[in-house]
Amino acid sequence: MPGAKERMREKKMKNQPRSVQYSSRGQGSQASGWVRGHQAEGHRYSQDLPKHITASFFAGARAAEVSVMLKAVSKPTGSCQVFTALPKHMRRRAMSHNTHRLPLRLRDAALRLAERSQRGPEKPPQAKSRSRRARRRHTHLLLEFNRRQRRSRWLETHIWHAKRFHMQNSWSYRLPHTPTAKSYRASYRAMDTHTLLQDLSYFCCLELQGPEEQILRALSQLTSKQTGPTFAASVCLSGARVGRLLLYRAGQYPHGALGPVEFLWRPRAPECTHRQLWIWIHPALKQDVLPELQAVCQCCESVCEVSASSSAAAVDELRNRKRKCTADAAELPAKRLLGDGTRAVGDPVRWESADTHITISDLTMEIVRFRLIGPLAHLVLTDTLHAANEEALRGVCVDADLHQQQRDVFTQLRGVCSTAELPAGCVLGLTVSDPRLTLPQRRGKTVPDLQHISTESSHARDLTLRGVPAHCSQSALWDTSVRDHVTDSRLSEQELNRVRSDVLVPGSAVCVSGVCAVPLLLLHQPGRVCGQERLRWGSGWDLLLPKGWAMAFWVPLVYRGVRVGGLHMSVKHAQFMAQPHFPHDYPDCPAGERCQSEQEAELLEKFKRRPPSKRTNYVKHGCVAPFRCPWQQLVDEWAELVELGGETQSRAGPVQFTVLRSVSVLRQLSAWCSSASAVTPAAAAALHQEQQGALLWVRLRLLGKGRPELHAAVCDSSVCVRVRAAPLSSSDTNAGV
Amino acid sequence: MVRFKSRYLLCELCVSEPSSLHLFEDKVVYQALRGAVNRAHGDYGAAIFNITLGVLVKYLNAHTGVVLIRCRKAHYRLVWSSLPFITFLENRGQKVRCFFNCIHVGGTIRTSQKFLIKYNRQQLQRMLLDCKTDAEKQDVRKAILSCSLNLIKGEETDGSDDDGDEEDT
Repeated sequence: MPGAKERMREKKMKNQPRSVQYSSRGQGSQASGWVRGHQAEGHRYSQDLPKHITASFFAGARAAEVSVMLKAVSKPTGSCQVFTALPKHMRRRAMSHNTHRLPLRLRDAALRLAERSQRGPEKPPQAKSRSRRARRRHTHLLLEFNRRQRRSRWLETHIWHAKRFHMQNSWSYRLPHTPTAKSYRASYRAMDTHTLLQDLSYFCCLELQGPEEQILRALSQLTSKQTGPTFAASVCLSGARVGRLLLYRAGQYPHGALGPVEFLWRPRAPECTHRQLWIWIHPALKQDVLPELQAVCQCCESVCEVSASSSAAAVDELRNRKRKCTADAAELPAKRLLGDGTRAVGDPVRWESADTHITISDLTMEIVRFRLIGPLAHLVLTDTLHAANEEALRGVCVDADLHQQQRDVFTQLRGVCSTAELPAGCVLGLTVSDPRLTLPQRRGKTVPDLQHISTESSHARDLTLRGVPAHCSQSALWDTSVRDHVTDSRLSEQELNRVRSDVLVPGSAVCVSGVCAVPLLLLHQPGRVCGQERLRWGSGWDLLLPKGWAMAFWVPLVYRGVRVGGLHMSVKHAQFMAQPHFPHDYPDCPAGERCQSEQEAELLEKFKRRPPSKRTNYVKHGCVAPFRCPWQQLVDEWAELVELGGETQSRAGPVQFTVLRSVSVLRQLSAWCSSASAVTPAAAAALHQEQQGALLWVRLRLLGKGRPELHAAVCDSSVCVRVRAAPLSSSDTNAGV
Repeated sequence: MVRFKSRYLLCELCVSEPSSLHLFEDKVVYQALRGAVNRAHGDYGAAIFNITLGVLVKYLNAHTGVVLIRCRKAHYRLVWSSLPFITFLENRGQKVRCFFNCIHVGGTIRTSQKFLIKYNRQQLQRMLLDCKTDAEKQDVRKAILSCSLNLIKGEETDGSDDDGDEEDT
């Protein structure tokens, strides 16, 4: 940016010629314009001169020079016209500020000049920034928040989390990582004995609609029966249970693993083959899974909804009574972004297929998902949620009998001792009234009511043995129209507070007439399912809500004494449940690879930030890769070792490593490990031949003291000879709990 | 409030082969001048180049070979006397034989420019006399015409010292 001095200098020197030379390309020609104008031959300044320098060339050059010099000489530097218009003998010293010393004809011009210099340089008009109060008004804050969400999406409970958590940007969402308060042990205790709450709305939901056989046929290419139950498992197909499986790329089992997903079928409507399926995927997976799904279902045509109520951004209108009279048409009221605000309006949300009649819809951020972990999760839920009464059901199309049955099941839930007692993955649909209406005045902690438990034992036993009856899994949440209607008919906080202030006795229940009920789904999470100890640890409930209602349910839940956890807690939860956490513990999935390389970059950065004398000397310790687990290298080297041992025939070329997930093989291996049956070398060799380049997810328990570091290498000691057959590699941070 | 007075040496670079004119760069000329003064006048000469407002190549025209060198008034004779000692210019390993011909010494740039205008006009006229072919004569006449008329657009200059000399061509 040129300062005043440079500008003055430029103004003075603008008539002076600059050197004309050949050397620097382009510099000679950009110096002064006369070069291009007056050259007789019009030659360009290139490195090579014309072959024969003739007199005309010199003549042209000289003439050009003369004109340049003339220009430089005749225009006096840095002078303004007023003062040079006077002959030299009439110029006076003080004529710049005392205009009376100038002849009359020049006085006006001089005055104007003096005025202009007084005014100073013209600055572009600056927009005056508003006062702090104006900037912090609700509408402007909303606009600011909408703008900030463009890069990383905010969850609906973002502001609540932002005040209490360290946030981080992952998978284009702004997610809570750890609480600012020191609460690791308290969170663990909550998971162990009470309840932990998490907001998992960032999980993407994909909806498939279509005839049942078509969907099953398409999806069977993505899964394999060897890894466990598929989409067609009979329990899950009826819609009574939530299922969990691993997706592979179409037809590429055992390679091409994509990642774990959760799925839920809608209960069958009588005499209808049209089914709805929800698949919940981790956001890191979405870019891999969605094209695969589209390819498999042959859904290529996207349906762009260009209607006023596009599903991309629902509108929550601001009911600001003060502003109503003063709001002009030009200034639209600020609208809170609900749903996926960062998606452009024209982006395709639904894909249809003409042949298979399957429709894939992307329901990212349309449904809010809360996870309650812990043995008393069901109590917290029964405290917070109250089934809606009959008149509120009118807006939500729910059958009255069904609602009564669901209500009964829900009340029976109170009698259960612990969430772990229920069968894994049962689904309960429910329609509840606004939980804000029954918000207690003070925060408390739900405690189990022992009296209640003993009286309700028989019904509770039914529930624990058989789970939720199949037809009670139905819910109005599956319909898009109902969801939109419920989102729109939500009472704003302002109105609710106004009603609350009108109540005679503060703190009593608020009754508002004409309020719509909220349909929701409760999904049971089984917790720890494998192993022999602490079975069903970490079980809980997942709460599915329509968008816009997150804060309305969050605050009442928090008021019941739950702890809130972030991403860190979900990693720990998976660890204590002896399950691999996606995406950290899935090295063969593309999302897992990406996660690993990001982690590696981060750790390397941290390492480099320390001064060289304070760094850990990994070379001395003999660590091959302290920042990542080099699985491919391990697999290759093991294969070489085995080949050198001469037990197997040579295989064809390098094998991409995969994680072994076939249930039968895993069962056999665990039988060998627990020495129930002996391993024969032949069997081992056969297994090795079959599963080349396979990795196993194992859990190590330390017998002594100490804790292995991240990415520590576990070495094979000569005692464990029998595991040479299939190369075993350990996952790192799973020291025994 | 002492005024730094300087002298401007207007020199002409004469080269035996005109095709090697592309070598001329102000840095090259400066380095050659420095070397020559160092050789001719020793340390005292070398020190002249290090003081404020010392020697500087102000203007260089590679086509016509005009160089304008500025130096302090106290040392201009020193610099002037070492000009004949520059026999070649070197640029990136290529040597060109040349010699400096000082045509004018002025106290300001403006006086040197005025002189240069007069000098160039004289040279053009001499070239016209020396021309052999008609085409060349035409070109030279055109050149003379172009520089003698006032081609300065914009505000008319009042009291400019150098009006275009109307000369009959």
